[in-house]
Parts: sequence; C-alpha cells; structure tokens
Amino acid sequence: MNAFDISRRRFLQTSAGLLGAASCAWLPQLAAAAGSDPQRKRSCILLWMAGGPTQTDTFDMKPGHANGGEFKETETNVPGLRFSEHFAGLAKQADQLAILRGMSTKEGDHLRGTYLMHTGQRPGGPLNYPAIGASLSKAMANGESTLPNYVAVNPSTLLNSSALGPGFLGPRYAAATVGARGNAAANDPNAMADLGVDFLSLPPGLDQKRHEARLALWKEQQSQFLASHPAQAVEAQATIFQSAVKMMHPEAASAFDLSKESTEIRESYGKGTFGQGCLIARRLVERGVPFVEVTLGGNQIGWDTHTGNFPTVERLSKELDQGWSTLMRELAERDLLETTTICWMGEFGRTPTINGTAGRDHFPDAWTCVLAGGGIAGGQAHGQTNESGMEVTDGKTEVQDLLATLCKAVGVDPKTEHYSPQARPIKISEGTPIQQILG
Amino acid sequence: MSRNLLRLFALLLLGSLAISRPLVAEEVESDSHVKMLAMAARIDALIQQRLDTENVQAAPLASDGEFIRRAYLDLVGNIPTVAQTRAYLEDNAPDKRQRLIAQLLKSPAHPTHLANTWRTLILEPTDDPLQLRNEAGMQRWLRGKFAQNLRYDRLVEEFLTATQGNNGPGYFYAAQQLKPELLAGETSRIFLGLQLECAQCHDHPFDRWKQHDFWGLAAFFAQLERPGDDNVGLARFDIVDRNQGEVTLPESEEIVPPAFPGSTANYASLGGTRRQQLAIWVVSRDNPFMPRRAVNWAWAHMMGRGIVHPADDMSPQNAPSHPELLDELTEYFIHSGFDLRLLLETIAITDTYARSSQAVADSEAPAKLFARMAVKSLTPEQLYDAMLKVGLLKGPDEALQNDGNRNQFVARMRTAGKDRTQFDTGMPQALAVMNGPPVSTATSPETSELLKALSAPFLSDQQRLNVLFLAAYSREPNQAELDRYTQFLSQVEPQQRPQALGDILWVLSNSAEFMLNH
Repeated sequence: MNAFDISRRRFLQTSAGLLGAASCAWLPQLAAAAGSDPQRKRSCILLWMAGGPTQTDTFDMKPGHANGGEFKETETNVPGLRFSEHFAGLAKQADQLAILRGMSTKEGDHLRGTYLMHTGQRPGGPLNYPAIGASLSKAMANGESTLPNYVAVNPSTLLNSSALGPGFLGPRYAAATVGARGNAAANDPNAMADLGVDFLSLPPGLDQKRHEARLALWKEQQSQFLASHPAQAVEAQATIFQSAVKMMHPEAASAFDLSKESTEIRESYGKGTFGQGCLIARRLVERGVPFVEVTLGGNQIGWDTHTGNFPTVERLSKELDQGWSTLMRELAERDLLETTTICWMGEFGRTPTINGTAGRDHFPDAWTCVLAGGGIAGGQAHGQTNESGMEVTDGKTEVQDLLATLCKAVGVDPKTEHYSPQARPIKISEGTPIQQILG
Repeated sequence: MSRNLLRLFALLLLGSLAISRPLVAEEVESDSHVKMLAMAARIDALIQQRLDTENVQAAPLASDGEFIRRAYLDLVGNIPTVAQTRAYLEDNAPDKRQRLIAQLLKSPAHPTHLANTWRTLILEPTDDPLQLRNEAGMQRWLRGKFAQNLRYDRLVEEFLTATQGNNGPGYFYAAQQLKPELLAGETSRIFLGLQLECAQCHDHPFDRWKQHDFWGLAAFFAQLERPGDDNVGLARFDIVDRNQGEVTLPESEEIVPPAFPGSTANYASLGGTRRQQLAIWVVSRDNPFMPRRAVNWAWAHMMGRGIVHPADDMSPQNAPSHPELLDELTEYFIHSGFDLRLLLETIAITDTYARSSQAVADSEAPAKLFARMAVKSLTPEQLYDAMLKVGLLKGPDEALQNDGNRNQFVARMRTAGKDRTQFDTGMPQALAVMNGPPVSTATSPETSELLKALSAPFLSDQQRLNVLFLAAYSREPNQAELDRYTQFLSQVEPQQRPQALGDILWVLSNSAEFMLNH
C-alpha cells in the first residue's frame, strides 16, 4: 500500500461524514422527532444571572422580617411552596422546580464568583479549569454534529471570559457565542432583540452560489494536501473547518435564525435579549445541542443591585419569568422537558439586609440556586435559611455538590475524568449529588 | 495605472530585480563558524544514525518553496513575500539555505518573533484583550534582549531578579499574583524544564521531587511585594524584594527554608536577595537543568517537538529521544557563551531541519525520530500577519504590538495547548477566520492590494495564478491546480474576474497548506 492510500484512508476516517453531508435535509425531521426518540441524549440549559441575584426578593423570601423588602410572596401550584409575586408564570410550573435555599460559597467578587460557579474551583490555582458548559457538553456530545455542543447566548464580555471558557480542555470545547446584533433593542426597549452567531453568515457581498463554488474548490485543495501531508494538525484543521462549513449551511444556521418563528411565539418569550435567548435555547435543544447557557443581566451585570434594588429586581424578575416559564412550557409541549435540565444561578446571592441606598450587597454565605426539569424531583425547596436569611440552617450546599447534582440530572457521572495538560486526571466534580432532589 | 501599482508589479513579477541582493555571507571562517558547521553536521549524523538503527528512511529535502516558507515562519514569524520567494527560487548558489538563515536571523523581525514566542511560553494564554495589552511591556523587554542577542544565562538572571514592571517582566509576577508557589511552579517549568507543581500538594507520583523540594524553591519567592500595593488596579507591575516573608507546608505551620531542587548547595552562602540567590544557582555553570532546557526549547521551536517531549517537562519519565545529541548540543551551547541565536542558526542549517514534511514511507515513522519535518500550527500572531501579507494589506509597525484588530484576532485565536504539532483551534474560531477580517479584507477586490495589482489587463491567467500561489504557499501551482483554476476563471464574466481571483485567494487562505507551517 502506498502513502497515498494510507493518508486517504485516514482522511476518510476523520472527515468522511463531514464532507459527505453537504445537504442537511434531515435536520428538521430530527428536530420534530427529537422528543420521541428513546435513545435521545439529554440537554442542559444554564440560566446565568449576571451580577448576583437577590435570593430574598426571588426564591427565599422573608415576609414579615425587616430584611423582607417590598415584594409579596405568591402561592404556586405546589401547596406550601411560595416565592416572589413577580414569577407568575413559574408559579404555575413550580412542580418542575427544586429550589436550593442552602447555597453557601466562598467568593464575593464578580470575577471570582463567576469563575467559581462555572468551574467549581476557586480561581488562582495553577490550572485553568473548564466551565461546566465545556466539560458537560464534552461528556454529553452526540458524536458528530452539525451544531456546536456548547452555545453561550448573550455572554458578558466584561467579565473575564476565562471564567466561561474551556480551560485546559482547549478551544475545541469553547462555546459558540450568540449575541445581540445591531442596536435595535438597546435604543428601543419595545423592539424585538436580534440575536445571532458571530461570523456565521457570509460576509456582505458574497452570495450562496459563490460560496458554494468556493467550497467546491476548497475541498479539492484540502484533499490534495491531506493526501501528501498526513499529520494530526492537518487532519484537525480539515475537520474543524469542515464542521464550521457545515454549521454555515443554511439549514444548520437556521437553528439560530429567530425569523423562522412566528411573531406570536417570539413575543411570548419576551422581546429582550434574554427572552429571545431562551427561544434560541429551545431551538437548539430541539436539534440535540447538549449545553446552552443564556445570560440575563449581561454586560450591565444587571442583578448587581447595590442601589435601588426593588425596581430593578422587579423588572428583571418579570423578564426572567416570561422567558423561563415559556421555555419550560414549550419544551414540555415537545416532550423535551423530561430530558432537559435547567439550572438557575448567578455568581453569589445578595445581603438579606437592605443598605442605606435601598440596595443589597454581595453575599455568598447563604443564597439560592434552582434546578428544574429533566432528572430533577420538582415541587420542593431543599435546605433553608434562618428568619433573617443570614445563615443556612439546613441543607447547606457547596458549589461542587450543586455541579455534581447537575451532572447526575443530565445523566453524566460527575466523576467523569478529563485530562489536564500535565496528564493529570481531573473529575468534572468532586462533590456529592443531592439525592433528595434527583428525580 | 498609478505609479504605486506599477511598483507593485515590479515587486510581484520581477522579484529578483525588486529586492535587495541577498547579503553576501561574510567569508570570515571564524572559529565559531567552523564549530557551527561541525555541530550541524554532527546533528545530522546523530539523527541519521538513529534512523539507520530503526531502519527508517528519511524524507528527502524539502523543495525550495517549502523551505523558505518554513524558515521565514520559524525565524521571523511571517511568510515571505512573492518577491522574496522568487529571488530564493531563482538563486542557484549551493549555500543559499545557509545564507537565507543568516539573513533572517539579522532581520529586526527575528527578535520580535522570538519575543512573541517567549511571551506565549511565559504567560498563560488569554482571550482578554486587556491582559494582552498588559503583556506588551514584557514583550518589549524580551524583544530588546533578543535584539541584542544577550547571553541567555544573563537573560534568565535578569528575568529572575527583575524589579521593573511595565518595561520588564513585572507582568509575569503580577499574573502569578506574587504567590511563591505559582512563581516557583512557572519559573521552574519555563527555565529549568521541571514540572514541580504536582509536588505542591504531595510528593511527586512519578518523579523524585518531594513536597519539600517544591516549597524550598517557592521560598525564594516568599519575600516579594509590589510598592504601594494599593495601586494594583492601575497596571503598574513593579516589584520590591523585602527581607521578610516565609512559606509553610500546606495545612501545617512548618516553615520551609529556601533550597535548590536536587542540590545541597547552601543558599545562604550566596549574597543578595532571595531571588538573586536563586538566579546565581540557576545560571551557574554546573546547573544541570537550565542549558538543557534552553537547547530543548530551541530544538522544539524549530522541529515542532523537543528531544525531550513535552519540551517543558524534562522529568526522568520523559526520556530524550536522542540523549547523546541533547548532551552534545548542551555542551556546545554552554561553550558558545549561551548564544541562543547561534543555537537556532546551527539547528536551522542542518539537513534534518530542511527535510520535507511530506509522507514518504509506507509506514509512518514515529515523530521522535525526526525522519521528516513536523507539521506545526501557526501562532495567532503568525496567522494574522500572514493573512495581511497575502492580501498585501497594511499592518501595524512590526515592533508595535498594540494594533487593536490584531489584539482582538490574537485573543480570539489563542489556544491553551503548547504542542504545536496539534491544531487546537475550535469551530467558533474557524468561522471567524472564514468569514471575518483579515481574510475577508485580504480577499476582497476593493481592499486587497494584491488583487488590485492582479487586475492589470496584460497579465495571463497563468501569471495571476502563479502570483496567488507564491503569495499564499510560496510555490507555483502544479499542473492539476493550474487546470482546475484556469477552468474556474474561464467560466467567469470579465467584470467578475477580480472577484473570482478573490475567491481563489479565499480558498488558499482557508486551506491547511496555508494555515500550517510544514
């Protein structure tokens, strides 16, 4: 056998499916059939509350106490389980929610807290740890896929992106980012936010026909070099660029195209970047994407309410409620909620005490996260804080336990090991899953 | 046609007229030159000896095009221009490889490229443009040292004892938060090739290093602070050595005094601050680690893989592929007065470095035999600069590292992996390369100076294709490529011609042959 045969064979092994699948006609059918497929892998949606959301005004209220604040509690569809009056939509789906009121962590700085909650590790060690989205999507990936395994919608660009990155796993496991395009939403609060993937569409002036002509020539150019220079780097370049080409294919790219949805549907999620981000998350989960992170608060770190806490939290709560509750309802209608786990968290909680400027400050000692949907025993609160909300009195939960529980809920062993550059095996989480809230 | 355009033609088509004559090698058969030739021959002999033992056939020498592109990328960090390539292809002198290498090492782009490479080696990759800006001071400092070809042992000493921040290595210390354990782990990896950090928490599982070795080294960094520590956020990175501060074993009260790893030398007998004491030991003639690590770095930089692999982990379980070669090169490096530039030149003029990266044999020889050149990923800086060059786009001054677009591109493309024979780029980055700048500007007829020059009516398609291939690949198209692209161009309306040439340039710019160093 000559060298050409060897390299040709290896080339086919690594890229055959990619090169062959020029047409993605199966995508819509796949999306339609996703819920009924018993082999279907699970998905995870992380709702990230940038700035650190107040637990006292959302999911762990203290009515009657001086720390309680301005908002009232509302009854939910689970007797005895109550939370903020501004979560009208979620109140009808409280049976899906497990509220962890005993979160207790050790970082009270935005950057450090963001890193801690995403990686399970405090920053500053010798290793750059992967965000949970990177390590979970790596473990959950469905083999070969047109779409990226990890998508981040509206990520904050002000926060150190190493907190959200693939760490030692390398850039192959980085999130594909979806962000606001244009300034429609920024200038006009009533305009529909326009979200999209960076560099997914062709540059201005290039039409699909010319693009396809380029690709035909490009494939010949690639296969010639692959044959003469079989090497890992050559094969990886060919594979990754071919994946990007596949993702640009109109049918794959359309997963991110919200104009394919009716105005009615789009409005039901809320017109802002968060609501539209939740809609993108639904479209991606329908197509089998394992991990989507949607940020609310973004570059303004909106939940960072040191002053004037209440009007801001009311506005954010309503935006959150509309996007989140519509997302769960639509996933349930497609039989996808039982295989999709949702995690709600920020970098830390906020002081139960109200400061002199009607605000609340950073507070990692006792706060709240929420898990919902697939793999979660909903309709309960786990853990509790004392009357003032200053201390956890039961069910104290650390970040490693939260991440281990999330792993379990999506069907991944938290002890799954990935290798650091020093070839040291590192588990996704060293924590203990909380059995009581696993479904 | 404008005069500028005409000049561009001269540059593109008449290559050898337009560029300065290659420097006539100074025929000083100096002692060091003779020794260099002998060492280069010795390298080739030792590599060949091992190939013979393993019964492996070496790849033939690379073509001139493949060689000039590789030498430019490795030594000055960018691909050659069309004119530079033409001149080299037309040169028939038997010593043209050696003369090219000598010329490149004298170029001001050489220290810039070395500074880029070392900055990446020293600092964790970041995709934060602000951090990239902070790194600029260290980059400038490194470039200055490499430009004067400062003895390497002096460079290490100055790095280990530096106090200036913004025009020195200060940002390295700031990035490690002045923490003794982080500084010990990183400096031993970078300058000694020792990975001690596993010993931070427990005795090393595979190596002889004990927890006390690690913390003994860390103790040399225990007495640092930043002057007026309240201006941390103001991007001042100066450092002060105090005379107090100790390290203790984790979760214990036990103070660990300074100690050199693997050595019983007494630090206290050496004068000065703790960092000066450490530097004296690191650069002392009998330090077994420092020069070996430098030699292994240089080898890996040129060959894609160290004689010890990974290049920065020279622990006993990573045995050298060619122990004799490593020993002899290290001796040579020490005797040359730690001359890093000479070391790179010596490796670059060998036949081993000049081998083709094409597959030749039936079965693939292990990479550690160096039977053929490795295929290496370009650094983000190399990729950006090569894309500007291929489109003849105006870039920033080469010494100036503060171009915003370049920083943004580099931040997006930086990878965590240190093994350049791997291609670590992900799909989001691939999308950015295919559809964003600088490829989009380099391949658009409105912005690409190369495409503007190629629009001249008196050029034949074949001439145009020659220029495109020389610009991107440093070689002329082969017959199959000529046929394919001539056919493509023949189907295009005349007014669409510039756009179609842009399409071809896009194809070449996104191909593995362009994006890799081979």
